[in-house]
Amino acid sequence: MRYLVGIGTYAATDDSIGLRVAEAIAAEGLDKGFTAIDLGGNLLDLLHYLGEGIERVLVVDAARMGREPGEHQLFTLEHARTRKDLAGLSTHEDDLAKVLELARALGRPLPPITVLGIEPADVSSGMGLSSALEARFREYVVAAVGFFGG
Amino acid sequence: MLHDVNINVHHLTRVEGHGNIVVNVTDGTVEQCEWQVPEAPRFFEAMVRGRHYSEVARITSRICGICAVGHTLASVKATEAALGIEVTEQTKKLRSLLKHAENFDSHVLHVYVLVAPDLLGAPSVFPLIETHGEVVARALRLKRLAHEWGSAIGGRTTHPTTVIPGGFAKLPTVKELEALREKILAAVPDLEATLDTIAALAPKIPAFDRPTEYMAVSSASEYGLYDGEAVETVLADGDRARYAVDDYRTFTNEYMTAQSTAKFTKNRLDSYAAGALARFNVNYEMLRPEAKAAAERLGLEPVCTNPYMNTVAQVVEVVHSAYEGLRLLDELIESGIADEGIVQPTRFASGASAVEVPRGILFHEYEYDAEGMCVRANCIIPTNQNHGNIQRDFDALLPRLLAEGISEDDMRLRFEMLVRAYDPCISCSTHYVDVEFVR
Repeated sequence: MRYLVGIGTYAATDDSIGLRVAEAIAAEGLDKGFTAIDLGGNLLDLLHYLGEGIERVLVVDAARMGREPGEHQLFTLEHARTRKDLAGLSTHEDDLAKVLELARALGRPLPPITVLGIEPADVSSGMGLSSALEARFREYVVAAVGFFGG
Repeated sequence: MLHDVNINVHHLTRVEGHGNIVVNVTDGTVEQCEWQVPEAPRFFEAMVRGRHYSEVARITSRICGICAVGHTLASVKATEAALGIEVTEQTKKLRSLLKHAENFDSHVLHVYVLVAPDLLGAPSVFPLIETHGEVVARALRLKRLAHEWGSAIGGRTTHPTTVIPGGFAKLPTVKELEALREKILAAVPDLEATLDTIAALAPKIPAFDRPTEYMAVSSASEYGLYDGEAVETVLADGDRARYAVDDYRTFTNEYMTAQSTAKFTKNRLDSYAAGALARFNVNYEMLRPEAKAAAERLGLEPVCTNPYMNTVAQVVEVVHSAYEGLRLLDELIESGIADEGIVQPTRFASGASAVEVPRGILFHEYEYDAEGMCVRANCIIPTNQNHGNIQRDFDALLPRLLAEGISEDDMRLRFEMLVRAYDPCISCSTHYVDVEFVR
């Protein structure tokens, strides 16, 4: 089993990019050989897609990487260190690194996890994407599908 | 007794969204004691104006990544009321089943991940892996069940795709329902263990009674999560009042305050409570026998006036949803799933709905023109209905804590626990990853 998991919040502008990419891929039937999942902000549910028998997971998410807004990059969290200082877990304050930390602490074997990070221009309250991300949306879809060899 | 207190909790953790607790006492005089909600309004109502009725639920489901099912259901129900659509019994049962999945999921998360650390003296769920590993593993098993439950009916859990005005775009098969039934049955031992855990922790729940008005959707045939003929309130003395859903503005009475960007509400008193404890107080008689037994075991009786007990009421509702889910599944499996098609509009007018989401009542209202385009919309979320009640709780709690003579740290924890007990979902904040690359 291979999963593309979009995470984020529709109501926080570019923080919705992961959800929109997953949604577009599913709507256009581009999820051949993998399943596109929209997790919204329920990051704890990511744990359900990290169990045994999972071949690989691509998480699509907005990521502050110090790049130009709209740029995207594939990376693994082994090669990235979170700058968030979070007290714990809730559906709203957690992030990907925190959930994976929980999975590791539970002693679960994790499948290879890659992040398609997209540098946001705006994560303030609001629906829709910034023009920077809207203009490059197809690039993200192509990159995500291409990750699985599509 | 403390004469000087300075509590300033900026962005309280383990709640959904951003809220602040500010308490200042100088020389024994209370200068400030506030629950502040600084988040910006989203104007979703404006986003659906000019959109076709078939699109509206898809847009409103994105209001919240936690209560997306509730927003979807409230939206299609309001649209159906406006368009004169009467859905079938099969549709009602499937939607009710989906609603139970959402409440089950949200309550498990709140009880185990957000509240349990307080009761076990931990700052978050992480230390509990070491000390209470089986409890954390159980929480995740129950979360997984809820996730699969919601996906089976809604197409996907977070933003359901199958629920549309007039029925279902895609129906589950009987085989899928049978598989879901087996999964819920298999979770019964975990439910029993949950009751054991909460019964052991219940003595740590603070004692604090402050009577208020409790409001919930009311139905003659069910506990009133997905649907109900009316909205009912009950006071601590058992006095009840009943209202038509269409009149929701007259009993929510939204108003602005200087301390918050979110609106507050009130009805018969200067605030009211919505959510699991309110539902329990209003609809106790409609609970499943298994849920009533759970309530008795956990020491919860209607009318309960301790807001900290909302968490216990959530546990009771988890039990109710599991057994009510089984009942609905049994009926659907026995009758089989019929491809009934989508019920079409008979008019284009206005309509309102009320659905119980994990944190309380969600009201949606729409008006459509003759082309089926939305010309007016309104939405009142449950957390806003609780802000005023939280503030009144603060007002009553502070003098009691001062009289108890507890430390400022303990006082802060009691305020934090109080807010967390309401399980507020203030609004969805961002989840983006913030990283630096390690070379």
